[in-house]
Amino acid sequence: MSRMHTPEETKAAMHEVVAEMYDRIVKGESPTMTLPVRTKNNIGFDKKLGVYKYGKKQSIRDATSLGSAKQLLRALHVVEFIEEMLDAGKSSTLREMYYISESWGMGKFGSQNDSNNLAEDLEIVTKCLREDFKLRPEEDGARMIGNLTLRERNRRGEWMRINARDDVGDSGYGVPYNVELEKIELLEHDIDFIMAIETGGMFDRLIENGFDEDYRCGLLHLKGQPARSTRRIMKRMSEEWDLPVVVFLDGDPWSFRIFASIAYGAIKTAHISEYLATPSATYLGITADDIVAYDLPSDDLSKKDVEALNAELSDPRFADSWWQDQINMMLELGKKAEQQSLAKYGLDFVTETYLPEKLAELGLA
Amino acid sequence: MSGIAQKLASNQKQVAISEFFEKNKHFLGFDSLARSLITAVKEAVDNALDACEEARILPTIHIQITKLDPKKDIIKLIVEDNGPGIPQKSIEKVFGQLLFGSRFHAIRQSRGQQGIGITGVVMYCQLTTGRTTHVRSKIATEPTAAVVDIGLDTRKNKATKANAGREMWYNEDGSSKEHGTEVTAQMKAKYQKGRQSVWQYLRMTSIVNPHAEIIFIDPDGEKHHWTRVTERLPTKVESIKPHPHGIELGQLQRMVAESNDLNLNHFLLNNFSGVTNRARKELCQAADLEGTRKMKTLKGDDIRHLLEAFQGERLFKGQPAKLLKPPTNCLSPIEEILIKKGLSKTIDSRFVTTLTRVPNVTQGNPFQVEVGLIFGGSMAGDKPVEILRFANRVPLMYQQGGCLLTKAIESVDWRQYGLDQAGGKGVPKGPAAILVHLASTNVQFTSEAKEALADNGEVMEEARKAMLEMGRGLRKHLEKKKKMAKTKEKFELINDILPAIAEKSAQLLNRPVPELSGSITKIMSAVISESTTVWNKETKQTDVDIVLFNYTTRPRAYTILATWPEKAGAKMENNDTGGRKEALGVWAWKLEALQPGERKNITYSLSGLERGDWTDTEILFRGAQDVIGATKMDEKFLEEIRRQEQLLLEYEGGSAQSEPTTKESSPEPTPKVALIAEAPPGDAEIVEPAVAPPEGQRTLFGGDV
Repeated sequence: MSRMHTPEETKAAMHEVVAEMYDRIVKGESPTMTLPVRTKNNIGFDKKLGVYKYGKKQSIRDATSLGSAKQLLRALHVVEFIEEMLDAGKSSTLREMYYISESWGMGKFGSQNDSNNLAEDLEIVTKCLREDFKLRPEEDGARMIGNLTLRERNRRGEWMRINARDDVGDSGYGVPYNVELEKIELLEHDIDFIMAIETGGMFDRLIENGFDEDYRCGLLHLKGQPARSTRRIMKRMSEEWDLPVVVFLDGDPWSFRIFASIAYGAIKTAHISEYLATPSATYLGITADDIVAYDLPSDDLSKKDVEALNAELSDPRFADSWWQDQINMMLELGKKAEQQSLAKYGLDFVTETYLPEKLAELGLA
Repeated sequence: MSGIAQKLASNQKQVAISEFFEKNKHFLGFDSLARSLITAVKEAVDNALDACEEARILPTIHIQITKLDPKKDIIKLIVEDNGPGIPQKSIEKVFGQLLFGSRFHAIRQSRGQQGIGITGVVMYCQLTTGRTTHVRSKIATEPTAAVVDIGLDTRKNKATKANAGREMWYNEDGSSKEHGTEVTAQMKAKYQKGRQSVWQYLRMTSIVNPHAEIIFIDPDGEKHHWTRVTERLPTKVESIKPHPHGIELGQLQRMVAESNDLNLNHFLLNNFSGVTNRARKELCQAADLEGTRKMKTLKGDDIRHLLEAFQGERLFKGQPAKLLKPPTNCLSPIEEILIKKGLSKTIDSRFVTTLTRVPNVTQGNPFQVEVGLIFGGSMAGDKPVEILRFANRVPLMYQQGGCLLTKAIESVDWRQYGLDQAGGKGVPKGPAAILVHLASTNVQFTSEAKEALADNGEVMEEARKAMLEMGRGLRKHLEKKKKMAKTKEKFELINDILPAIAEKSAQLLNRPVPELSGSITKIMSAVISESTTVWNKETKQTDVDIVLFNYTTRPRAYTILATWPEKAGAKMENNDTGGRKEALGVWAWKLEALQPGERKNITYSLSGLERGDWTDTEILFRGAQDVIGATKMDEKFLEEIRRQEQLLLEYEGGSAQSEPTTKESSPEPTPKVALIAEAPPGDAEIVEPAVAPPEGQRTLFGGDV
């Protein structure tokens, strides 16, 4: 990312959070922690950055209910834990922190989700990153295949040059959790665009059919909702190599959300959207009209699907007319379709017909 | 009962017993192999409970069922009680005699309104297995027990006895048994588990007979033990005379025919309840009959006119004759506290509420509705609630859907009280059981199977009102539980979490730990009450402690109210805070203003209760600021209590007959003129017909025993 904080800067930022609580108690008030509201109602488009960021709405977490008081106490324990790591030059995964909280008594986390959320809260209030906190996710990054070359610093601190077509096996190049400059450098490529793919099955189909070579592209397996490092490396490739990014997902409301988090920024990480989002990314398919145009085998929308679509209608990230049409069309159809439903027309249909037609619309094939 | 008895007595004389049984088994309770076993257990256990009750003995009843021949469904049943025992000469009567006419004129609440008694079991055993029923019984005044095998000669339609004798009777521990009766029967029957089973019958029986200890050994050898939770026996019920509103023509004709009274005036005063001297005059005038008419001179039309006057169809000065309500001391409700105990011991739960309504009258018959609701614990949350129906302490196990008591439950919208109910109708769902008990001198059933209560507007209304009140209790409990959880959280917050936040933040910033009192008041911003109700083993009293904390920034003044079991005869002791009685079972204390951060304790003890009688005190308050842990006084609730209290006083006044106002119109000197003399304790199980049966037949078996 643009710039990491020094341990001293990180500590000072965290102490501000602690001081907010302390000072309120001294004043005879309930201790508090102030942070932006983290819902779709408080994200807005940042024209300068071209991504969605948190707005001005603040929420104040105080100690008037047991749940939020515990959350304050946990935050203090997390601050203490991070300080200890900074002093000792160690790092830990979020999951390790969750287990370490076992010894925090009343400040113990109820679930891993609690600890993940709290780490994000701290990032947001301190404007530090979790890398500053020495906290790692255990989520693994994406897989990548294509004629592109990068340099990764390995465990021994040596730089390794890797070509993501020639130097890797069938599973491709594994994207590490840290893809910042100190870990990865993008060297060179001979491709025209990058295609991000939702499911492993489709990723493997395109590789087997030699699509990356036929169409001169890099293939990236998202593994569902993409991890931070996956989004970050897409963003870097797009910017540093000036490559278009197309996104090929299932045709359902959840895929729309994945796309929004790639292109516009995710609600949960809107504080760092400018590092993670790729505003130039394009949604390739499956679109609602593909279901009709290609007469794809489809499933009925579930109640949850419909709820999700309706929520998307009022999500500022889907406010443009193209998305409104897509969402409304899907609601009208009452249907959704998977990427692999294209196999209805044979194993090669996706690489010989569907993708070339879709890419042609974008001028990429 | 009278209908069957008469029919049996008059029509069955010439009919073979096997045929009689076959024809009537559906209402005798022997229509299936599973039900036959339940009926047999029921007759024996009802007898045991009745006998103990009349002899004022706390019952301990052992029931054992063994499969003798599983392939042929042959079962052995042993029921043993610690009742007064039956004198040798009476055993045959009890077991060989049909109970016709027995309680036919006795207007009081009794178990024996169902079935045909233990004789039916003897018949059934003989008919299905050819075996006699072995009876062993001992009374306290005799050193040995009487034994006899009672059977039935199907060829001659006569009861038989064999192997009569006397023997020593030892308990398991080798001591000799003081008194009691044991019945050993063999019958074709099937033991089943589930909602309609011997187990369920005994479980239900135990709920409404908390004074009984019931031990059941099932065919698998498993022992089920329902303990005794109270030493209090049910109140002894008085017999009352019929009330004119409840009389039918046939009954009136019979009473007139059998009357030995001097004239109509005496007849009316002596044989009916609710008939005062004034009412007598009014009835005579309305019926257009001279009070001095000799009974023998009354003809069909006269009797019909009298009945019309009874029913208010013939008027006195344009009004029906004014009658008093019948006395209600003929009813024996289980009472709220004992239902609570009975339910709690049988079903694991978190909350029990019970309610005994004030007695009411329908068609001249006193009745009383009691309800109980038990909630939470290990009961399934997604199934319909269990319905426990009782008539005069007898469990009703069949025909649930057609029963008035079920309909009363279904008529309530339980959703508003915290239970699931599709569309606000039908049997609600949730982790709960609902008990309904109708105590009445005349229980009306839908059919002779006597398993479902017939529709009756007044009974329905009473039951419904009781349900609504109980529902409110449940809702209050659920709300209170939520509030208590909130209070507990708040205390955890200020006692544990806040100090930890202060300490940790101070440590991280390397500053001194700040003072917390200001934050605590801000965070709590409430007045909190906590109460405990505990049994004190040493003083044998129930100790209640109520604490009130003011965690706000201002002084607060309240009146605190608490519920206590005044109706059950409890006395308040050591109540140093004083206060005053607010209503029946509600005490009030007006407190001086509590300063911020101040606390106040109210303590007192309740005497005259048993352990477990009173475990939860409801705390209410009057005052502006909400009190967490207490309920704001609902003045409507208070009104309802006062109304019930008023009714209760009226009833007690009416039946006590000691007040000068009722003397003038005194209906009857109650105990002396009861039509049926109380059976002496030693002969408790022998119920002699008070009125000779029409055909002079003494037993089902066509002759004298």
